[in-house]
Amino acid sequence: MPTMFPASQVDGLIRTGGSCRVNVAVKAGFSCGDKIYVVNINPVTHTRLPQYVRGKRGVVVGDHGVFVFPDTNAELRGEKPQHVYSVMFTARDLWGDTTPANDKLYIDLFEDYIRHADPK
Amino acid sequence: MSKDHDHDYQPSDISLRVKAVESLLVEKGLIDREAIDRLVDAYENKIGPHNGARVVARAWCDPEFKKRLLADGTKAIAELGYTGIQGEDMVVVEHTANIHNMVVCTLCSCYPWPTLGLPPNWYKAAPYRSRAVIDPRGVLKEFGVDIPESTEVRVWDSNAELRYLVLPSRPEGTEKLSESDLAKLVTRDSMIGVGLPKTSA
Amino acid sequence: MNGIHDLGGRHGMGPIDIDPEQPIFHAEWERRMFGMFILAFAGGHFNIDQFRSAIEQMQPSRYLESDYYEHWLHSLETWCIKNGSLTEEEIDQRMKKLAEGAP
Repeated sequence: MPTMFPASQVDGLIRTGGSCRVNVAVKAGFSCGDKIYVVNINPVTHTRLPQYVRGKRGVVVGDHGVFVFPDTNAELRGEKPQHVYSVMFTARDLWGDTTPANDKLYIDLFEDYIRHADPK
Repeated sequence: MSKDHDHDYQPSDISLRVKAVESLLVEKGLIDREAIDRLVDAYENKIGPHNGARVVARAWCDPEFKKRLLADGTKAIAELGYTGIQGEDMVVVEHTANIHNMVVCTLCSCYPWPTLGLPPNWYKAAPYRSRAVIDPRGVLKEFGVDIPESTEVRVWDSNAELRYLVLPSRPEGTEKLSESDLAKLVTRDSMIGVGLPKTSA
Repeated sequence: MNGIHDLGGRHGMGPIDIDPEQPIFHAEWERRMFGMFILAFAGGHFNIDQFRSAIEQMQPSRYLESDYYEHWLHSLETWCIKNGSLTEEEIDQRMKKLAEGAP
């Protein structure tokens, strides 16, 4: 049931916020350096996977830890805590060969959004 | 299931509508008016880019702090007391001689409030959000920043709950400046990555 | 969802309106809306993902043309109505009353 949040607790709220990290041990399926591709999902419900990276190939460059999964949480279907990875894409892989060669795009992808790329 | 909530009101009514919603929620004991006042005061008058500027100036002066900042942004920024809403999980990305960073939230408006305050309108609107990822150099030109072809432009899309702060490069010729004078050179836009620090106060 | 909010890479959205001197809040209603969102969130009316999800379901042209904090009003109303805290009729009646200058 929604409650009234009192003025007396506003200062504390501002300073503490509400992290979406989940303090639970979840095995990481990916590590730095892993080549990945992004799944092609098109849910009609909420997702934090933008269209412009779906199906694209990238490299895992970091592991931010375990967070609440927005796709399920938005539908009250559970927090489904999982690792969030920093993934790097070259601008050319995203937008084509007329894009500057040096440029990169970094985005935070939940484990459910990525798969190991087939070895070439 | 009732039909989707659809609005017939005209934009000029929005002020009236917000008043109506607030008065109803207050009457029903769901919203505390004074709590709204306190939140507005905090984000309009207290929390802002001057916070992030202090973080940057500290990093410019203290190499050990800079190391901690890049390794764990949340913890290091908390040393200066900047914590909380929309800054619970911070990542700091550093410009180097060959790398220029730029931050965007393509899906909405995610922004590191404790260090930068509330985002400007352009950050939250369609033109920046759409173009930052596909044409960052064009966007930077619009902001008056020219990046050489040999420099790598890194765009960070803060689509999850990590919030990004750019650590710009210390301007040349500032060796004699105190930390607080250095902080005055650090602009909000330089910590988003669409501007550069001032070269003199 | 593949909504209009998923803007990365789209063309045709126009020039960036840089406006360097802009205030943090452009009008009093923005201040009130900002505070109400945070308090409704802290009070458990919705989680952050639900909040964003409702914004994404705004009518696309309205999403693009409205002031930013109108997105927040849309989401707050959506969830308050879903939760039974408010009804459309109540909001309309209160607006009428306020417009007539009733105390």
